[in-house]
Amino acid sequence: MLSAFRGELFKTLRRPAVWVCIGALIILSVLIGYVLLGFVYAHPPKGSSSSLPAGTTLSVFLVTLYPINFIKSTLSFWGDLGGVFALIIGVLLQGSEFGWGTVKTLYTQRSGRLTMMAGKLATLAVMVLIMVLALFAAAAVSSLVVATLEGADKTFPAADEIIKGIAACFLIYWFWALLGLALATIFRQSAMAIGIGLAYALVLETAVFGLLGIGGGEWVNSIHQWFPIANVGYLIDSFGAVRIRGLRTSATPFADATHAVTMLVVYAVAFVAVTVWFSRQRDVTA
Amino acid sequence: MSAAADVSPSRVVETRGLTKHYGGIVAVDGLDLNVNRGEVYGFLGPNGAGKTTTLRMLLGLIRPTSGVAKVVGERPGTPASLGRVGAIVESPAFYPYMSGYDNLRLLAIYCGVPLTRVGSALEQVELTPRAKHKFSTYSMGMKQRLGVAAALLKEPELLILDEPTNGLDPQGMADVRNLIVSLGKGQRTVLVSSHLLGEVEQMCTRIGVIRKGKLVAEGTIDELRGAASLKVRATPGGKARELLEKEAGAENVTVLDDGSFSLKVDLARAAEINRHLVTAGVDVTELHVDERTLTDIFIELTGTEGGL
Repeated sequence: MLSAFRGELFKTLRRPAVWVCIGALIILSVLIGYVLLGFVYAHPPKGSSSSLPAGTTLSVFLVTLYPINFIKSTLSFWGDLGGVFALIIGVLLQGSEFGWGTVKTLYTQRSGRLTMMAGKLATLAVMVLIMVLALFAAAAVSSLVVATLEGADKTFPAADEIIKGIAACFLIYWFWALLGLALATIFRQSAMAIGIGLAYALVLETAVFGLLGIGGGEWVNSIHQWFPIANVGYLIDSFGAVRIRGLRTSATPFADATHAVTMLVVYAVAFVAVTVWFSRQRDVTA
Repeated sequence: MSAAADVSPSRVVETRGLTKHYGGIVAVDGLDLNVNRGEVYGFLGPNGAGKTTTLRMLLGLIRPTSGVAKVVGERPGTPASLGRVGAIVESPAFYPYMSGYDNLRLLAIYCGVPLTRVGSALEQVELTPRAKHKFSTYSMGMKQRLGVAAALLKEPELLILDEPTNGLDPQGMADVRNLIVSLGKGQRTVLVSSHLLGEVEQMCTRIGVIRKGKLVAEGTIDELRGAASLKVRATPGGKARELLEKEAGAENVTVLDDGSFSLKVDLARAAEINRHLVTAGVDVTELHVDERTLTDIFIELTGTEGGL
């Protein structure tokens, strides 16, 4: 098992595509989350405050970019969107093996298929952890820069909130990465897996329940609570919204963090089971 | 698949009734293969005969529908078997973004082989000068050689090479052939599949011929050729036949389509038979030893001509 993990890590750490994916998330999180929003909040365009309560301007949102809120802001912005980058990493780690024909190379070394898969899962966990830590580190540094420029308070949240935030983000990204791994294993390629994964992440669940929600009521939520993206939302919402003077806080989430964590863990376990089953049972013919 | 009850210790690969179906298609049909320790075994058959499917079953990449296989005395695809087998299945597959050296380092990590083996494996296939270059920049021949180096990394008892000269230029083919011959010296066993008759003839000590998933012949090349015969063309035909039947026995004389005769006799008697015919007033226009080529055997067994 250890040699399978060391091998997977060896090749994954040397793979440019993985670092491009992680780098893209970090760069986007800083550019959009801090540079762009910071500029807009600091210099609100004319008419941008029309939908806000009287006497309130976009500049009140600057507080969301300060160190004290970096966990909540990062989760609310990137907890959801960043999942697609984790999905892509999950797909890359498995789908490319089929594309390059290296599945047969892997499975004809000393270890059996289950051991090799265990090594891959452990490596995926490491890469997701690196991604999450880099995301929060970039957010922390960026929030400190914003606070310095604005002359605001530079206090960071309590350590337990930081750890909880990182753990929540890791679970969300881990779920997406495992979905990518499972799809790549099922379809034995990257393109189809990324296509279907992105369609689900960005369109399918949101669109279906969005449409049902137009005419439905509580029953739509009672069904939606069992679906992954809803639970990603519940988990993010459990950290609470940043309180902004003059604005109402958002509604209480339909389900709590325990429900969300349980559901995401169940999905993660299911994806691992699917991946292992397909890897073990299928003939390697290419 | 149940375990084989009795496996000969000298047998490195042994299959009994090995069968693989893909839906209604029978890719391998009740294959009984025997590869002995220390031999270079040629697994010969036309394209689509079931060679690669068989080799994949021996490596645990494909599960047989039925039948039994033992590789180095173990069930195929288990760590106990894989640890003692090196293989190239079809084209060698590596990670294109890593160098040849790093690809071998990776496999050494997977196999628990000392990293010092990497350098010597690269040297063995004469790839050291390009070892630090990315795999994606390698020529077909270099990729094939890296594949052989990877297969050698574990210092395996058994090398399974599937069409190892595919896609190589004549020089590359000759290099790989020589390499295989040298690897097959000593106790190491090499199981090499090919549809190239000349290649198999040059490399292999024993061959198995597969056709439509069935093993149609197995033995040394000499065994498969059978005893050589004496071909005689002489006139007048009637008198010649009479004399030849007297010399060799009627059951050992066959009249061929072109009117010549094929004699199953001790080849050392060729001069004596010639003398008797001439003395009896028969004109001998042709007399030579007739030995079946591997191509003849292949066509006879498979109904196709092997690539040359």
